[in-house]
Amino acid sequence: MALISLKNIFKIYNVGGEEVRALDGIDLDILENEYLAIMGPSGSGKSTLMNMIGCLDTPTSGIYEFEGEMVQVMDDSQLASIRNRKIGFVFQTFNLLPKATAQHNVEIPLVYANIKNKDRAKMATDALESVGLADRLHHKPNELSGGQRQRVAIARALVNKPSIILADEPTGNLDSKSGSEIMTILDDLHKNGNTIILVTHEDDVAQHAHRIIRLFDGKVIEDSKQAP
Amino acid sequence: MILLFIENFRISLTAVFANKLRSFLTALGIVIGVLSVTLMGTLISGLDRTFESSMSWLGKDILYVSRYEWFSGMEWWEVRNRPRIRTDYVDKIKERSNYALTVSPVMQRGASLSFKDKKARTEIFGTNEDYMETITTNIAQGRFFTRNEDRSGSRVTVIGDGIAQAFFGDKDPIGQYIKIDDIKFRVIGVLEEQGKFLGLMSVDKQAILPLGAFKRIFSKRGWMRLSVKVPTEKMDESLDEMYAVMRHIRGLKPGQKNDFAINQTKLFENQYNMLKIAIAGTGYAITLLSLIVGGIGIMNIMFVSVKERTREIGVRKAIGATKGMIMSQFLMESVTICSIAGLVGLLLAYIFSIFINKFFPSTLPITLSIYAILMSMAVGIISGFIPSYRAANLDPIDSLRYE
Ligand SMILES: Nc1ncnc2c1ncn2[C@@H]1O[C@H](COP(=O)(O)OP(=O)(O)OP(=O)(O)O)[C@@H](O)[C@H]1O
Ligand SMILES: [Mg+2]
Repeated sequence: MALISLKNIFKIYNVGGEEVRALDGIDLDILENEYLAIMGPSGSGKSTLMNMIGCLDTPTSGIYEFEGEMVQVMDDSQLASIRNRKIGFVFQTFNLLPKATAQHNVEIPLVYANIKNKDRAKMATDALESVGLADRLHHKPNELSGGQRQRVAIARALVNKPSIILADEPTGNLDSKSGSEIMTILDDLHKNGNTIILVTHEDDVAQHAHRIIRLFDGKVIEDSKQAP
Repeated sequence: MILLFIENFRISLTAVFANKLRSFLTALGIVIGVLSVTLMGTLISGLDRTFESSMSWLGKDILYVSRYEWFSGMEWWEVRNRPRIRTDYVDKIKERSNYALTVSPVMQRGASLSFKDKKARTEIFGTNEDYMETITTNIAQGRFFTRNEDRSGSRVTVIGDGIAQAFFGDKDPIGQYIKIDDIKFRVIGVLEEQGKFLGLMSVDKQAILPLGAFKRIFSKRGWMRLSVKVPTEKMDESLDEMYAVMRHIRGLKPGQKNDFAINQTKLFENQYNMLKIAIAGTGYAITLLSLIVGGIGIMNIMFVSVKERTREIGVRKAIGATKGMIMSQFLMESVTICSIAGLVGLLLAYIFSIFINKFFPSTLPITLSIYAILMSMAVGIISGFIPSYRAANLDPIDSLRYE
């Protein structure tokens, strides 16, 4: 059974009376422990698709099943719970809370998961350690480099041990060295059994994935497997 | 739940202290609201205390028969046209009234007292031997005068504690002679200390003399009132009876208006309660107004706060916050601002009340303080509700896109 199953998904915006089809009939199955890259030109619907998969957005029509369950009929707390425990988000712009330390940023998903203070600190430091930031626990985002910030964001995404990591252009704002460090972390996560879905413009980033789909005007125009 | 609560509190404190000036300005209304309600409470507590002690001096079970009604606003010439109260009423009332326990005539005037080179300007009272029954003060030293001393016009006097202090200090005043308007009187007793009546007029600087001597020496035709002690549990019946007795003494026919007045301390209480209502009304009005203004300010600042943190809200939702969690975060923030403001108001009120207490004995009421804090929290909930609701229902995608 597919972990994620999209059937004939449309996302249509109405801008000034004109229809914009951000997603135009997407059919897509993603299996457990797949390493998937989504590519395509700007405005082709990559982020919209990611948000849909991450249960942040709802389709105009079509059926989305997450682990075999219809997402459309879930209520707010069920969706929040999926985003909290099953999915970890990594954004292009990091999206860390500027006033909170690295450790505190990583602890936030644990707060929403209702995990005790003591365990929280341990889990957060473990997660930061796993991305090589054991010595930056008490730094605030503006005291960290871009690559370090993105690593904090990854630590935040994986602290609740989700099975799926969604990364929307995770290296888009980074220099190539920091970018490849991030990709190494994602590769490791994949090796440990996680499902990785990432959006990228860069071919060498996409090369890390085992499957690439290309979007154009909200449609899947290519779906190819490649040897790692 | 409790973890989220602690976390939210931490976020709120960070948010409040990150914008100290802004938080302070918006919370000013709450500060003033709490300050005014608690200061009003302090003022009333002080008034209550003064009033209580003043009332205890007057005595609750006394009917005061005189020519004019207290607080009636009668014209002076109307009062003057009424017949005077006379000494022989004392026996007539005793004869006819079933309820009257004691009856004391009281005449009063200003006089100057002196002892050696010490002088004091004060009030003197002429009365009979039952006078002590009609006041709640006791004799601290010596004794009161007797019926015989009254009848025989003995020149003896019972002085207030204030006069005793001023003239004799630590020495024993009993048996000493003081001059009242240049006439020698022998001190036979000292009243215990009383404090100030309504916080203004000292009752400790007085001298009480037998009515016989008072009339003979000072005035035969002064104003007189009668203090009639009646059973506390029979106040209403006693009052009715006293009206009947006085009408009989005055020979009034049915249909004729009373040409005398019977007063009770209850009248003071009524008057006092009106004053209290006026103070409380003003206090509550100021409080309500500042809370409304403060509440609107808080609501406004919460809208700004939600707007500023739109992106943060999106991120929080993406990592697993439910609507309820977002809602509680922002509600907590506005309750925190309001509670801190309330505590600041309370602290100011406390400082003020220490200061006020220096010249007007009063205390900051504890229950009212607690209510004031609860009230500011309620303002936080009410004014934070709509902004928090809006935050909770923001679309996560739109929020994440927000610049
Ligand atoms: N809220 C919206 N209202 C109207 N149109 C929207 C909205 N959100 C997205 N779109 C449109 O949907 C299309 C897909 O947008 P999306 O953000 O998914 O593109 P993308 O592939 O991620 O592009 P990029 O590479 O620039 O990030 C675009 O044409 C965009 O204008
Ligand atoms: Mg995009």
